[in-house]
Amino acid sequence: MLRKGITESFGAAIHALNTTQLTDGVINRSKRMMLDTLGVGLLGTRTAVFNKALTYSQVHSMDFDDTWHPATHPSGAVLPALLALAETLPSRPSGLDLLLAFNVGIEVQGRLMRFSREAYNIPERFHPPSVVGVMGSAAASAKLLGLSPAQCSHALAIAASSAGAPLANAATQTKPLHIGNAARRGLEAAQLAQIGLEGNPAILDMHHGFGVYYKDYSPSAMAASGAFKWILEEQDVAFKRIPAHLGMHWVVDAALAARAKLQNTIGSFDLSQIRRVTLRVPPSKYVNCPLPVTEHQARHSFQFNACSALLDDKVSVASFSEAHISRPALRELLSKVKVETPPDNQPSFDKMYCEVEIETEQGHSHAARCDTFYGHWRKPLSQRHLVEKFSVNASSVLCTEGVEGVVEVIGNIERVTECSVLALYLRMTSNPQEELHCVNIQ
Amino acid sequence: MISTLQKTIRHLKAVRVLHKPAVEVLKHPAPEDTVTASFGRFISEMKPQHLSPVVLQRSKRMVLDSIGVGLIGSTTDVFELALQHCQYMYAPDDISSVYGRRGTRLSPTLAAFVNGVATHSMDFDDTWHPATHPSGAVLPAVLALSDMMPAHNKPSGLDFLLAFNVGIEIQGRLMRFSNEAHNIPKRFHPPSVVGTMGSAAACARLLSLDASRCSHALAIAASLAGAPMANAATQSKPLHIGNASRLGLEAALLASRGLQASPLVLDAVAGVAGFNAFYEDYVPQPLESPSDGGHMFLLEEQDMGFKRFPAHLGMHWVADAAASVHKVLVGVDPGTVSPAQVQDILLRVPQSKYINRPFPESEHEARHSFQFNACSALLDGEVTMQSFTPAAMSRPDLLSLLRRVRVEHPHDNPANFNRMYGEVQVTLVGGDILKGRCDTFYGHWRNPLTNESLRKKFRNNAEVVLPSEKVEMLVDVVEELDGLGDCRVLLSQLQ
Repeated sequence: MLRKGITESFGAAIHALNTTQLTDGVINRSKRMMLDTLGVGLLGTRTAVFNKALTYSQVHSMDFDDTWHPATHPSGAVLPALLALAETLPSRPSGLDLLLAFNVGIEVQGRLMRFSREAYNIPERFHPPSVVGVMGSAAASAKLLGLSPAQCSHALAIAASSAGAPLANAATQTKPLHIGNAARRGLEAAQLAQIGLEGNPAILDMHHGFGVYYKDYSPSAMAASGAFKWILEEQDVAFKRIPAHLGMHWVVDAALAARAKLQNTIGSFDLSQIRRVTLRVPPSKYVNCPLPVTEHQARHSFQFNACSALLDDKVSVASFSEAHISRPALRELLSKVKVETPPDNQPSFDKMYCEVEIETEQGHSHAARCDTFYGHWRKPLSQRHLVEKFSVNASSVLCTEGVEGVVEVIGNIERVTECSVLALYLRMTSNPQEELHCVNIQ
Repeated sequence: MISTLQKTIRHLKAVRVLHKPAVEVLKHPAPEDTVTASFGRFISEMKPQHLSPVVLQRSKRMVLDSIGVGLIGSTTDVFELALQHCQYMYAPDDISSVYGRRGTRLSPTLAAFVNGVATHSMDFDDTWHPATHPSGAVLPAVLALSDMMPAHNKPSGLDFLLAFNVGIEIQGRLMRFSNEAHNIPKRFHPPSVVGTMGSAAACARLLSLDASRCSHALAIAASLAGAPMANAATQSKPLHIGNASRLGLEAALLASRGLQASPLVLDAVAGVAGFNAFYEDYVPQPLESPSDGGHMFLLEEQDMGFKRFPAHLGMHWVADAAASVHKVLVGVDPGTVSPAQVQDILLRVPQSKYINRPFPESEHEARHSFQFNACSALLDGEVTMQSFTPAAMSRPDLLSLLRRVRVEHPHDNPANFNRMYGEVQVTLVGGDILKGRCDTFYGHWRNPLTNESLRKKFRNNAEVVLPSEKVEMLVDVVEELDGLGDCRVLLSQLQ
């Protein structure tokens, strides 16, 4: 069996990466990710799926968390594991320790996705967070635990046996558990490695190792020093404005623009005047849902998001309630939607576009196209809007002191001596009966 | 099975003469007509009376063997590690018993985990065709769940056996959906794929979930399935079975709370992989509900293989072949076999990278090495549990023999537990050639262990950990399992 030393290089890198290597760019970007993730996580504690799964899942419950390229939701798989771990460690990690471990977890995910071409397109087989997310969580946890290079490698190997959930469960109530389980099982992998469990020391090198999750697989080694550059420095994440699959953001922005055009021409917006709505989107079966019934389906439906935008002139958290989904006006509009998948529209978050064309009963057409939605890595959310999103989300659960405390701590995380202060603010709920308990893994 | 096949053929013939709109309907089946829904219905509608005498008998043998290997497995390092992890990293929850450890209990999913780890820790557990280790993924979960159920509502022995058999059956059905599953695996370790699903099915049955929740249990389990083959033959391998058991139970518990997942997880939907994500080829078939008039369990047609020594199934062929050569050698020159007599050892075995290890470095690797098992049997006349101790592994005589081994993969020797053979050809220093061949080892489903042999294996295993009264109690209790009013009699003997 040819060992190219790739797994070893990952173990060595996870062990050796240190805080002096965190650049300003990476610090800024990763702090934004942490803030956004905490907000969506807090908001997520009010969902039915969270209550069913309790501590198993918080962050991905509403599909509101960050998205990267190649596609995955990197932070949700890493941050919950680190927060849980940080509360238990006798060594009392600093904010900088937390930030470093977080970035190690993100970096490993980015590295792994670059091992295959398949990873660059919207997925069809395995849900990416379930593949790379658990590896990132293992890496981050191993970092925070201070494991040796060999133990770090074994953490990755053990985690690989916990990876891989089929895409069919995306757009269902179970999807959030993919992220929850990624965080939890990655943490567990690191803990098992810490007490001496071993897996295959060449897990990343082999096609029948980590390579089983991809049709094409071409791994390469990771350097820890010298020419090391964080992927996050070159490739930012996207933050969502809407709690829905990333693809929906394009179609919403296009629909809103088309609606504005129609309104400018006609003077008012009248649904009954619409004969047909044509969507030009990339081909992706699992977000092509003409008549969604559940909130999960609605978050994964080009048609639903376009029509919600047309009907309400906005799409927000409230758009996905059962009442909103089942509105007769919305169902009627949905029946007028046609979906096209132009050959030049690639199923890649880096290259796709969405076009919305409204055809009126009079035969007039009003179309708009979105190439880059606001929040995409090419057009990042301003810091103000990011903090605003966090505050709105977090206020559903935390009191003002808690909300402001988290913003403050994350904003200055690299200077915080004990990162457990974050946990204190995260527990400041506005309703005493809803007090969030200590993370109690069952 | 044949009647199911005929029914399928009739169905396909009928499709051709239907007009287009009806064909459209068939392309987009109604929710009740999906493969996934049929599995959910099957699990929820199975009743004890559907268990035939043959299935009862065979599954009780599996239960006994599985408990035995689990008990001996509780003496391994990897079990100890897994147990420590559960005890230190999780809050205490004294509900379900841990094999062989008096007074030690864990939460149900964690107990299923450690007992599953124990079961597979020495690669001593049962093997089926198509290949997987079915019992280790199911029994620990069913035991743990039984411990969890309230005292006034414990399952009867028959309920227990029914759940167990549902878990085995579902695994068998799922493996028949792909050709890939029929050969020695290359990508995903089968217990991590079908084992999780089997555990979910068994637990859904024991919890008496309705058809819809049974389907969702399977769908949730699919998101918890799948581990790469690269971790087989490492210390992590037992965790594949442990996690299959634990996560299948978890899936059923989540489904019982109303968690929902894909209603098409077992069906093949283009562009969105479900359970077929784990296979290159995949053709699902609906399962007939037992109420449709009798059901033939796969276990009735395809018996289980039990191992005589703790190593990968493939090792049993070369061990038996080498043992026959050993007998001849010892006959010729009374005493032990000496490497000095041997010039060359040629093994003719199927091609499978992960059991082809010329110089295994760990006990796990040794259990997955044609070369090691052949040489051990050649030297000692048999392979036993003791063959894998560090002392035995580092014997100079053994290493000498290992250096003389060559391996060939004849075209007529497929990597398939139903059709493979093992040949050991020893060329002596004098030029004589001795050949041993094994087509069907004793313990294979074509040549099953007798009840006496099975019980002997069980006693050898269980007595390492339990006092003999408990060991005998277990033999009796499992034998009478289908007559037990309350499975607590079984649950209380495991530690």
